[in-house]
Amino acid sequence: MAAAVHKLLHPHRSRDQEKEEENERQKSATEHARDEEKHTLAQWGEKKAPLEPGQIDKHPDQKMVGHSSSVLRKDDFELIKTLGTGTFARVWLVRVKNATDGDENQVFALKILRKTDVIRLKQVEHVRNERNVLAAIAGHPFITTMVASFQDHDSLYMLLDYCPGGEVFSYLRRARRFNEPTSQFYAAEIVLILEFLHQREGVAYRDLKPENILIDAEGHLKLVDFGFAKKVENRETYTLCGTPEYLAPEVIRNTGHGTAVDWWAFGILVYEFLVGQPPFWDQNPMKIYEQIVEGRVRFPSAMSAEARDLISGLCTVDTSKRLGNISGGASTVKSHAWFKDIDWDALYHRKVQGPIVPHLRGPADTRNFDEYEPESIHREAYTKDMQEKYEDSFKDF
Amino acid sequence: MSLPPDYSNEISSLSREILTHQPQDVLQFCANFFLRRLESQRAEFLLSHHHSSPKGRGMAETTFPGGNPFGTSPSHTATYMQRLDEEDENDHVASPTAASFFPNSAMDRAQSHPANEDTFGNFAGFGGFGDAFNTRPRPSGAPEPQPFPNNYNLNRRTSVSAESLNPASSDHSDWTPPDHPKSPEQQARLREAVASNFLFSHLDDEQSAQVLGALQEKPIPTKGIKVIQQGDVGDYFYVVEKGSFDIYVNQSGKLEAGPDGQGSRVGSVGPGGSFGELALMYNAPRAATVVSAEASNLWALDRVTFRRILMDSAFQRRRMYEGFLEEVPLLASLTPYERSKIADALETKKFPPGTHIIKEGDVGESFYILESGVAEVYKRGNEKPVHRYGKGDYFGELALLNDAPRAASVVSTTEVKVATLGKNGFQRLLGPVEGIMRRNDPSKLQDADGVDPFTRSS
Repeated sequence: MAAAVHKLLHPHRSRDQEKEEENERQKSATEHARDEEKHTLAQWGEKKAPLEPGQIDKHPDQKMVGHSSSVLRKDDFELIKTLGTGTFARVWLVRVKNATDGDENQVFALKILRKTDVIRLKQVEHVRNERNVLAAIAGHPFITTMVASFQDHDSLYMLLDYCPGGEVFSYLRRARRFNEPTSQFYAAEIVLILEFLHQREGVAYRDLKPENILIDAEGHLKLVDFGFAKKVENRETYTLCGTPEYLAPEVIRNTGHGTAVDWWAFGILVYEFLVGQPPFWDQNPMKIYEQIVEGRVRFPSAMSAEARDLISGLCTVDTSKRLGNISGGASTVKSHAWFKDIDWDALYHRKVQGPIVPHLRGPADTRNFDEYEPESIHREAYTKDMQEKYEDSFKDF
Repeated sequence: MSLPPDYSNEISSLSREILTHQPQDVLQFCANFFLRRLESQRAEFLLSHHHSSPKGRGMAETTFPGGNPFGTSPSHTATYMQRLDEEDENDHVASPTAASFFPNSAMDRAQSHPANEDTFGNFAGFGGFGDAFNTRPRPSGAPEPQPFPNNYNLNRRTSVSAESLNPASSDHSDWTPPDHPKSPEQQARLREAVASNFLFSHLDDEQSAQVLGALQEKPIPTKGIKVIQQGDVGDYFYVVEKGSFDIYVNQSGKLEAGPDGQGSRVGSVGPGGSFGELALMYNAPRAATVVSAEASNLWALDRVTFRRILMDSAFQRRRMYEGFLEEVPLLASLTPYERSKIADALETKKFPPGTHIIKEGDVGESFYILESGVAEVYKRGNEKPVHRYGKGDYFGELALLNDAPRAASVVSTTEVKVATLGKNGFQRLLGPVEGIMRRNDPSKLQDADGVDPFTRSS
């Protein structure tokens, strides 16, 4: 039946047939490689051991995670539930299909991007950055691990570890705001992430906000969505991106920006943790931007002096005075009085208990994620023209 | 019979913990583990019910007013983005920075009030939120508290991004902004029209001239022409030179078909006014429909041109400063990254002719690079200048190293533009200069100490 439909849909039968035969020949070898790869994935999923910074730096081919897979396919995964949607991507909770014994319970998050949408929304460069950055940093304890990436004719796939705790955003909105110890714990894990991204990888993340921070099964953070992350190293970059309330003044003024934008956004984040909403807001986004470039942060009277001092240091318009960007980098943030109770080494090694450890019924529990609208049936075809023009950009995916 | 999944899950996370921590006292460790789990679950539970249990200990503080305003679904998009600003709006929209923590009594009071009147920016999905955060006089009558905005959007926020801009790529390197001719009167009118806009008020003279030059005339021949449509993608910002325009907002967020499709008229804009400025940031849907009320004349500027003007001038300025810095022997051991940080921190200053930029004998605090113009160096006892500085020359750099008095005076001959950075700024960015210079060659420090920068060429 499937073959008959196939025939109807594909009048150029002879060519297809040739292809199929060729496929048959390669199939057994590929099948074997796929099964092996699936088993490896599942094994990684079992342990999820974080790597030391020195191990993360290895080439993706030399560590267990972060490589581009030529054998994995969408069919290898059963799509269970949508975990999140973006303008050109959808993230699914997936289970490994036809897994070997003992591996069938391993779940992952699969981010699926349609090539046509990526092209239409001019995000080709961003998507490439995202994959490459995630590959380079796979293994960090507080960053989503890209286990593997792969692609097919019209889509790109990133297989990520699943964080069953859901978004910090949801907890924050439910709580309205976090108390100081909770804010300090989460903020401190973010500091470790930024320290690593900036000082070890030369990467600016560029979209810090509670929506992009997940809580894993053990109550630690995972930073997700590296769509705007970019290896900037020592050069400034100019493309405006981020989230309105979190944009740094230099991004708005287009004077060139670098990793310092993450320290600005980090200040906004700490403020939002403690207050329940970011410091600069207006219904009219232009008014938000006007407030941001003016940079006058006002604090609720109940906020502690240390917290005010930290936020003022981070949300400093002049990047040459901004905490985190000045001499000493992240260490100036780590040694700030607001973080005086943090044992940074224990924190990196996940030895500090987080304030929320999600209650879960097994590893595939999705109770901490919201319901999303089903995917629209309408899909633009990935045309030959597009393929000719862009396929090369996706070749390493 | 299999074990309940909850149990298996708890046991496997306990096993993981035991593997990580390798406790000596296993029993105590297990007991602690379960106590922690219990505490964390309880905290989570209390958190979701905290409005009914104000004394709950958890990760949230409970002194904050507000019930549970979170009945919204993630499919609600950030509709707050989609409206045009009106003059009187600020009366209602309190500054979000003015947050203040109310005591519980204030919270109860606020909740008992009927819904607030500011319906325009409120969203049905927020339930009681508007009430809870509506601001009422404090019972105590204390002079504070500044109001917490009653309409902060609590939904997930959408990321935004503009076209990729890359100054280093070859196709942009010889780009020059378009220059559309204007009469001096038009120039003046346009300059004034954009002067109050923060996106333009930060521009230097050259950027400002380029931006004004890039404004392109768009004559609107008659009444009833839709210049922008609510919900459409926005690429252009418009300044009204003459004529007038009506602004319509449809509550649905976009222009709809039919006679009332553009919604209700919320205002108008006349000569010297402008609209569509968000389009200069990124491609966001238009917040309103703007229709000509008579034959008019508009000037338009597109986002890519605007942002490229800003980028190119910033890029050139940075590279110029980096180039200048490379020539300063005292800073020879800076890495390119450090140089770029210093270049970013340099501050531009302008001086009229005849200004003493530095004075002999003063304590030096900043160093200077001459960006344009001419300055002369005077030393006490010499009537004539001992040296002349032009573009790219630098002076006063020893101030970064020590507090010795200035060895000479530098006086501007023409109007000059300098880039300057103080010792504090330098140390803040890179640490002590001595350390940086010692990095490559410890002997340099000695040499530099002996150098009088004002006698280089004499």
